[in-house]
Amino acid sequence: MTAALALLGYALLVGALAPLPLARSGWAHRAPRLAVALWQALALSFVTALVLAVHHLAVPGVHLHLGLAGLMHVCGVDHPGSLASGTGWRLLLPAAVALWPLGRLAAALARTARHRRRHRAVLDLVAARDRDLGAHVLDHATPAAYCLPGRRSRIVLTRGALELLTDQQVAAVLAHERAHVTGRHHLARTAADAFAAAFPFLPLARLAARETPLLLEMAADDRAVRRHPRTVLAAAMYRVADGQVPRTAFAAGGPAALLRVRRLLAPAAAPHPALRAAAALASAAAPVLPLLVTCGPVLP
Amino acid sequence: MRRLGDLEAEIMDRLWTWDRPATVREIVDDLNRTRPLAYTTVMTVADILHRKGMLRREKSGRAWSYRPACTREAYSAALMRDVLGESPNPGGALAHLVEQLTPEELAALRSALDSVDRGAPGDGPR
Repeated sequence: MTAALALLGYALLVGALAPLPLARSGWAHRAPRLAVALWQALALSFVTALVLAVHHLAVPGVHLHLGLAGLMHVCGVDHPGSLASGTGWRLLLPAAVALWPLGRLAAALARTARHRRRHRAVLDLVAARDRDLGAHVLDHATPAAYCLPGRRSRIVLTRGALELLTDQQVAAVLAHERAHVTGRHHLARTAADAFAAAFPFLPLARLAARETPLLLEMAADDRAVRRHPRTVLAAAMYRVADGQVPRTAFAAGGPAALLRVRRLLAPAAAPHPALRAAAALASAAAPVLPLLVTCGPVLP
Repeated sequence: MRRLGDLEAEIMDRLWTWDRPATVREIVDDLNRTRPLAYTTVMTVADILHRKGMLRREKSGRAWSYRPACTREAYSAALMRDVLGESPNPGGALAHLVEQLTPEELAALRSALDSVDRGAPGDGPR
């Protein structure tokens, strides 16, 4: 019981309190990749804690052991004799808690992959592949640049974008899109969206889904400006946005483009190494921390 | 598999360019100017495109005569709606460079660009 309470307390901390300072923190935009990793780690940590807590409540008196044995236990893979016979059904509850977000994730991955596949099938018929650019050129007057990530990825520029942008700007834009593909940003994005769909009222889920897309754009910007001037990418963003039909309503996530352009034009130093190390450590530790909470010697 | 996909694109490209119905024989003859391809291969791929709804066909004599179901422009426009559409790509299936902005946001973007070195290689707005 004590362990279950400790785990629920931990889940509350990670799910409701920790995300608020993280969403407001200044360092996240200066180390976007690290921030994405931390959001994902907190989500995983929350699910682990919740599953373990439900397990403790459903199967009272059975102590979870550290590490692999504990994990197998949660997954319902027990060596014979570890549970009194006839109580195996009690594992259904924690298993359901684990499968709920996992199912959401699997469905979201399948859905976005299908969406991309359909888009790509038409794209391959309509767009011309430009070997020099390493991109597909879509014959459309509206300037746009985008990528289809995943296996058989595609980077796409419209004719409108090619006409509007200088060669330098095109190169910077392509580097940005390529960064999305090579960084597999779509997986982090889909995971954050699926987590928010699984736990719609959880602050951690809501904020992670809100912050992750912007952080991924910033990560791709950072990658692009390693080899291309910052002002070139910023100017390309302006030109593309200027050439599109303006929105009438503000975007849900706030003025993301403005944040990105200001950040490109006035780069801030990366966070202090100690802070980076702490964030990296927290990302690595968070998913396994709940196991230590229950199985450590502290709570008998 | 990939080559079948390439062939699909080549067939569609020809039919769009010609802008008239064409038989498999006509398509094969044109393709054979650049490389040898069997009639049956092209016929199979044309049939696949018909089943996918990309091509319409009607009998002309003993052979089928094919034409694109929609113009190339219509497909391009559909793709762009998918990218810039009102329901911004569910689950981030597509990631595009910059979302559509309001006029206010555009103005803010422009003044941010104007405030840093004018006429730099970035060569901002016109």
